[in-house]
Amino acid sequence: MSDDAGYEILSIDDLDRYTTLQGSQVLRPLRRRLGFRPFGVNVWVGESAGDHVVEPHREPEGTEELYVVVRGNARFTVVEETFDAPVGTLVHVPPATFREATAQEPGTTVLAMGATEGKAFTPGGWEDFFVAYAELRDGNAERGRTAMQQALEREPDAWQGAYNAACFEALAGETDAALEHLQRALELDRREVRRYAPEDADLDSIRDDPRYAELLA
Amino acid sequence: MSVAHVDELQRIEMPDGFVWRPVRRHFGIRAFGVNAYSALEAGGQIVEEHTESTLEHEEIYFVLRGRAQFTVDGNEHELGPGQLVFVRDPSLKRSAIALDDDTVVLALGGKPGEPHTVSAWEAMFAAVPASREERWDEAIAIHEEALAEQPDHAALLYNLACMEARGGRHVDALVHLRRAVELEPKWAEHARKDSDFAAIRHEPGFPG
Repeated sequence: MSDDAGYEILSIDDLDRYTTLQGSQVLRPLRRRLGFRPFGVNVWVGESAGDHVVEPHREPEGTEELYVVVRGNARFTVVEETFDAPVGTLVHVPPATFREATAQEPGTTVLAMGATEGKAFTPGGWEDFFVAYAELRDGNAERGRTAMQQALEREPDAWQGAYNAACFEALAGETDAALEHLQRALELDRREVRRYAPEDADLDSIRDDPRYAELLA
Repeated sequence: MSVAHVDELQRIEMPDGFVWRPVRRHFGIRAFGVNAYSALEAGGQIVEEHTESTLEHEEIYFVLRGRAQFTVDGNEHELGPGQLVFVRDPSLKRSAIALDDDTVVLALGGKPGEPHTVSAWEAMFAAVPASREERWDEAIAIHEEALAEQPDHAALLYNLACMEARGGRHVDALVHLRRAVELEPKWAEHARKDSDFAAIRHEPGFPG
């Protein structure tokens, strides 16, 4: 709206929508859309009652998070405590703590923010990966590839970027590109890649290629 | 883990008329800056007019409930629930008026490329109710806690000195005021006119 003026007005309804693989949770990437740099902030939506708004997970690497319910009503579980969270509820979750939330009403929406104490924030590649895979599932491989490329450019030496690019291209049926990314991932962290690759269904389309066995040998 | 509804947060009425609802301070969040604001009534200030030139923060103001009239860089925007303004440029003047009695605005902010540090203004805001009721020991303790993390913050030291002077701790007040002036000489000028220092203005060593 007023991008050039150094500020911008936005509604969360203007944000792109990306569903998870399971399709029960929608990411509306706010930080990525704004280019907000101080810390992570995103919008998660459970479209139908019972859908996840916050997937069951723990944040690794010391990330502290705050969830704010901005629409609907969410049922949170943090560690073993379960409670209802209507609009205006703030839920603070320390690092390494289990949390999940489901929508009690259609369209339940949570604003999630997070960062690590004592560390300058850099955006995680997961936002780009999430967008890339969702675009691919929707048949927009080229748009997905652009998102994947952004992650690779931001952190060219992170094995996760190269590994996810390999998975992405394998799912897209681009065997040569997938193997190239896999080779790069192995160069960056051979141990981690060998730990994940054998069990990863995303790579099934390239597993029978003789070059795959050569790389992983 | 802790949970609170925004209406359960402390209400700290600021002299400029807006009401600070401390979020970061309530939960003890260390990794990022987040607060909520409400107004005394519709038509009242909800975000004070300010820039982020000193702290260089990028800010997001998100309307959680009700409606608010924002003025950013001289332009007016009426925002409702689910709408936000992202102020990328720290030098832009921003403020907002609540259009409903129960409007709540969330403010998210921090300096890009640096680990989050707790803003000194939070301690100054947090000490407002204690100062208003002349509970000086409590106001002093809030400042001392913030200074433990940022010992050379001149404005915090100056504020602490004000409260010590009012609370009868004259020696401490002089020490902290002199340190504030040493760090930032502009505080000498403020001190000369500040009624908080009436009791110590004629002490030897008072800056000026």
